[in-house]
Amino acid sequence: MTDTEQFPVRVEQPDRNGGNIFSRVFDELTAFCRSRSLFILHYCTGCGAIELPPAMTSRFDMERLGISPMVSPRQADILLITGYVSVKTLKRVMLTYEQMGSPKYVIGICSCTVNGGMYWQSYATAKKLNDYMPVDLYIAGCMPRPEAVITGLRQLMDKIAAGEANGWEDYYRRYDYYLGHQQRLFGETWQTPTDVIAEARHYGLFGPETLGDHTRLLEQHQAPLEALEMQLGLGAPDEVKA
Amino acid sequence: MTGSLDFLLLLSVVGVPLAALLAPSVVGRWLLVLLYVVQLVELALLGSGDGARSAVSFSLLGHSVGWQLDALGWFFAMITVAAAGFSAAYAAGEWGTLNARAGLSLRWLYVGLQVNVFAMLVLLAAGDMVALFIGWELTSWAGLLLMLLAGGEAIAAARRYIVYAIAGGMMVLGGLLMTLAAAGSLQFDAVAAAIPTVGTSALWAITLLFVLGFSVKMATMPFHLWQAPAYAFSPAPASAFLGAISARMGLFAIALVAIKLIGIVQLDRLYLYFDALNLRNLLAWVAVFTAILPTFVAMKQNDARLLLGWHGVGQGGYMLLGLVMADSLGSAGGLLHVFNHATYQAILLMAVFAVIHRTGTADLNRLGGLVARMPLSFLAMLIGIIGLAGLPPMNGFVSKWMIYRALILEGQPLLFVATVISTLGTVLSVYKLLHNTFLGQLRLEHETVKEAPWSMTIPMLVLCVVVFVTGVAPGLVLEYVAAAQQALGLAPVAFILGGIDSPAGTLDMIWVTAILLAGFGIGAVLFYLMGGRSRRVHQLDNYAGGHFLTADVRYQYSDNFYAGLMHRIRPWYRGSFAWAEEALVSTFGAIATAARGFFEQANPAHWVLVGTTLITTWVMWHALV
Repeated sequence: MTDTEQFPVRVEQPDRNGGNIFSRVFDELTAFCRSRSLFILHYCTGCGAIELPPAMTSRFDMERLGISPMVSPRQADILLITGYVSVKTLKRVMLTYEQMGSPKYVIGICSCTVNGGMYWQSYATAKKLNDYMPVDLYIAGCMPRPEAVITGLRQLMDKIAAGEANGWEDYYRRYDYYLGHQQRLFGETWQTPTDVIAEARHYGLFGPETLGDHTRLLEQHQAPLEALEMQLGLGAPDEVKA
Repeated sequence: MTGSLDFLLLLSVVGVPLAALLAPSVVGRWLLVLLYVVQLVELALLGSGDGARSAVSFSLLGHSVGWQLDALGWFFAMITVAAAGFSAAYAAGEWGTLNARAGLSLRWLYVGLQVNVFAMLVLLAAGDMVALFIGWELTSWAGLLLMLLAGGEAIAAARRYIVYAIAGGMMVLGGLLMTLAAAGSLQFDAVAAAIPTVGTSALWAITLLFVLGFSVKMATMPFHLWQAPAYAFSPAPASAFLGAISARMGLFAIALVAIKLIGIVQLDRLYLYFDALNLRNLLAWVAVFTAILPTFVAMKQNDARLLLGWHGVGQGGYMLLGLVMADSLGSAGGLLHVFNHATYQAILLMAVFAVIHRTGTADLNRLGGLVARMPLSFLAMLIGIIGLAGLPPMNGFVSKWMIYRALILEGQPLLFVATVISTLGTVLSVYKLLHNTFLGQLRLEHETVKEAPWSMTIPMLVLCVVVFVTGVAPGLVLEYVAAAQQALGLAPVAFILGGIDSPAGTLDMIWVTAILLAGFGIGAVLFYLMGGRSRRVHQLDNYAGGHFLTADVRYQYSDNFYAGLMHRIRPWYRGSFAWAEEALVSTFGAIATAARGFFEQANPAHWVLVGTTLITTWVMWHALV
């Protein structure tokens, strides 16, 4: 029933710096700054959410680490999923994840995100979050206490500073893989407003596995949203000219 | 080449029939804009401060009446003519054509505008108190011409305005007669010389009559109810002109009479309760309440025009407050705010009317997301609200800073805190204005809206440049403000190009702006060094707790904005002044009804008989006893 294959965490580490020592210094500085200024978007799906207020507020105070909540995915860095994800919820999580600007990091909190937890029997629950999106860090427990949450966040910070939290790149490089899992669960007509393939090109993260059978399936029915252009239609309307 | 006041007034008079003649055609309307440019040039040639005198003068009951434009009047006159020019340009193109087709009389609009300019020039150039009164009445009635144009709600507002204006005019006339009785002359010099010898009670009466009478136009409390609706519901250019400068005629007249003729020293002499509450303090508190209450009334308005109208009332409070501080910094701040307010208020009203022009509504609950459709109007409104909220680098910051600084230096912490409260209300409500109009979700029915035409956007954008440039280099305006202060007999402010450089405080807006722009610059440099990558996303690709959004879903709406705050402060909106006004009106109504009933229904012959009998009885009783 449960897919027993090992977590396919395959993080590629291409030498993006091209050996340029200055850009390497610059990248390290950027990574350090990034790790010290993180905005979290909580996608509070289950019981784990209850442990976040203490983590945020004065007792454990995650803002001392430079981490604070954010209301919109466009400005958020971390997507925090705090419990079981039903199929319906997972659609929303995917939508939200794709709306976030890169670089973005995903943390799965609670055992439910790791293997379905106490809902492992449920037909309506996605068992393994990293089938559908790259997860940078799991914080297991039912539920993990705020200390564990803070520890997990510190580990993520260390990973970001070390340039190892590159799961978001994996999503672009192996989009076909993730899309396949999504289609398996949501059906063949599944689509989100975000054009991930165009974004992969935009970020220069187009990999050999970005396209595949599943993206071909997507292209068959995809109805892309037109970009909303600023309009300067300053000419007089027709009834004036007449 | 120097200008002449007579020629300016002549131009202004000739402009009235010209307006009637030319207004219906587009070319004619642009020619009328040119006429305002000529008037402005003529005014500029007159120059600030040397007291150009008109050859027109006559004698009225032994008092000579004449006109002379001093630096104070010149400062206001420049703003007036420029505001009229920008408003005229705004309506010259498509706006005029379409609205004329919808039934608006452009003839009356342009005639009204020109009559207003003429009336205001007559007021601003008054050389004695009779001329001041003539100008005052002309200005009051000229305003009505513009308010009556739109019909509908505007008529009710205009009717209310007439009542207030007549009451104010009567008070001014009363003050005039008392001044004549006390001073024996109505020449400015003679009055100013006689004031110190006038007894306290007579001076109380004179000052109160004048200040209250002029306050009506200014709409300071408790006369604030008429202004916002009267200005808001006029046609666009009329509204922009009235909102920019019309109410400031009251400030001009108060400055002239209360500060120049009566004098701050005399105002201090008039106290209610020993030294603690003299007339000057009283005026300051009236000004502060005028700054606070209308601002918070503005915050709960859902019509963008009314919101701005109420802010116009509130900002008048700042000007009066700065003026009655009467030190060099405060009074300069008050006068500078007249200019600043005229510029950004005109922008804001023009932007709002541009939105009305394209969408047909100013209802803040029925707009939103227009930034993608009307980006230039958005830019104009953004710059306007930065000015109105008093944030650098726009010009509203400078004048407000000067007023705050003066309040601190004059040892008025309570007034200072009160103005800060008012500013808080301003910031909140201008954000509501911008957000509900331009940000958020674009409504389906506005999907095809276009940007306003150039004839409307260019006046806005030019004014934006003015707001920015005079914000960065307020010295450009402060030069004339200092001259106006001298004309009022106040110590002129020590200014530099970038702002203020005096022992009372230093402000160099060039530095402030440079630091501000440097902040943006660092951000921009970082952004472009990192590759400058940005992606525009669809407006519907938005976040609403993860919901999949389509155009028919109202995921973002602006109804009941600031619901949380309003929940707290709603009980404080009691409408006491509206209630008091209503009570006054119904009292008069009851008396009038009773009198009419007596006249129509009672048989006069019976009453005459009863009266005669009573009087006869009384006489006989006295004769007998």
